[in-house]
Amino acid sequence: MDAFTLTLWIVRITFVILLYLFFAALLRALWRDLRTTVATAGRSLGRLVVVTSPEGRPPAGASIPLDAITSLGRDVNNSITMEDSFVSAEHAVLTFRGRAWYLEDRGSTNGTYVNGQRVAGVVPLGYGDELQFGQVRLRLERVPA
Amino acid sequence: MLLALMGVALFAGWVSLASQQAGRMTIGDPAIPVIYVGILFAIHLAFVLTGRRMDQVLLPVTGMLGSLSLLLMARLPQGLAGLSLGGLDLGLAPLQLLWLSLALAVLAILAVAVRNDNWLREYKYTWAAVGIGLLLLVFVLPPAGAERIDAPRLSLRIGPITGQPSELLKVILVVFLAGYLAENRTLLARTSTRLGPVSLPPVPYLLPMLAMWGVALAIVIVQRDLGAALLFFTVFLTLLYVATRRFAYVVLGMAMFLVGATVLYQLFPHVRVRVDIWLDPWADPLGAGYQVIRGLYAFGRGGILGTGLGAGLPAVGDTPAIPAIHTDFVFAALAEELGMLGGLAIVALYAVIAERGLRIAARAADDFRALLAVGLTLVIVIQAALIIGGNLKLVPLTGITLPFISYGGSSLLANAIVIGLLLALSDRGVEPPPPPSSARRFRLPSRTPA
Repeated sequence: MDAFTLTLWIVRITFVILLYLFFAALLRALWRDLRTTVATAGRSLGRLVVVTSPEGRPPAGASIPLDAITSLGRDVNNSITMEDSFVSAEHAVLTFRGRAWYLEDRGSTNGTYVNGQRVAGVVPLGYGDELQFGQVRLRLERVPA
Repeated sequence: MLLALMGVALFAGWVSLASQQAGRMTIGDPAIPVIYVGILFAIHLAFVLTGRRMDQVLLPVTGMLGSLSLLLMARLPQGLAGLSLGGLDLGLAPLQLLWLSLALAVLAILAVAVRNDNWLREYKYTWAAVGIGLLLLVFVLPPAGAERIDAPRLSLRIGPITGQPSELLKVILVVFLAGYLAENRTLLARTSTRLGPVSLPPVPYLLPMLAMWGVALAIVIVQRDLGAALLFFTVFLTLLYVATRRFAYVVLGMAMFLVGATVLYQLFPHVRVRVDIWLDPWADPLGAGYQVIRGLYAFGRGGILGTGLGAGLPAVGDTPAIPAIHTDFVFAALAEELGMLGGLAIVALYAVIAERGLRIAARAADDFRALLAVGLTLVIVIQAALIIGGNLKLVPLTGITLPFISYGGSSLLANAIVIGLLLALSDRGVEPPPPPSSARRFRLPSRTPA
């Protein structure tokens, strides 16, 4: 084996090694990213952003973090209290089951609306959906990582 | 950091290739890799300077796939594709560099300029109409360059420009599907019709599925493009499942696929040929099965470490041993010269794209963006899987490109749009999504205080 063949072989193998070094660097970047995601995950399942609230409680623009079970209504015992004349005392409940959000109307007087449609029973929600209780409109959002 | 490593790897590959071809140690003509790495760094700099907090991994991965493409194109006979610009004759490698540069420019512009997605979100039916229009154009206009009666009619020629609209069509399809599914997913996920053991959603919402199936069939029949049809239908089914989490759809879709495939197999010779050479290429080793057999030989010659860049046998003189070596069979060619290790690295790069895309989807602020990210990722990954599988005789060979590696302007540009949009979606500083479009239809609740 002469010097040229040997050098060429080394260059060739170097190329493959570099290819894998590149891949290793990629994996390291992915791993770091995964670690930070895991570290920040589970802090919050989602949030409600207040779009409009004519009577000011909750204030428009507020962002409310959600628990797995969040009850909404005018009564102070709800997780989210909405001081709005058209909201019932026990208006609705938001639950996170499995991997998705569900909304259930609890027999409110003026009903619960999702994206403008009145809902009955338990309905699945998607992130970005707009919910309306009385005059209060809220948007369900994912918490940015 | 990743980009630098990618650059070093490209130069090592370049030296390896040039030395092998020249028969002595040389770095060859370094213009092509220098220009290419320069462009990538310029794009990275542009991202940093504009202050975008985007995904840091996608650009280097795309760059790496592009480098492998350049290495292969520089190695293949330059006469496979050619273009004369003025007095300048461009061979395969410079032409691919030109397309890659254009594609990367499109990618960068999309990634930096797309600050909100309303133009995609609000006009989904317009996009669908554009897509169908493109499809019809291919059906109606005379095919460009395909004189053989069984050749796929893919190309569209407008004046001097030829392009393959099906590449662009796949991006449009994903945009439309993401918009449609994000709007109707709750309806689609609801059960109301029962058909024996499977429960189905309301019948009107099944129509898009039937329409998709019809479009896929039409592509196979009229355009003779099995690859695109398979890609569209797979992406559609997967997105539908992601949006609704209803396994019944997948079962139903597979059933429809089986029915469609059987009927097409019986009726159309070009479908039958594809399946037959997949089942037994040795039945006609010098005719229909030639490509597949040559591809398999290439994998065998490659072994574990490969023959080395430039030392393989994809071409005898100026005639490539595998006819579509620079488009459909790039994976076979690279696997021969880089061996199983190189082939695995390529598969791993696509896996990384899949991981990044799905993570971008998981972080997306709302359903439309999540579905869009999933769909865009699927387009690249499924396409790669279909053609790599086809090369390896795992699935019937279909004539689609290996994203970012195959030669071809349409394919590179379409895939660059995909990655550019993914990058834009991954940006944490983009505008928040608008409220659902139906918000305008909000009815005020009746004026009875609770």
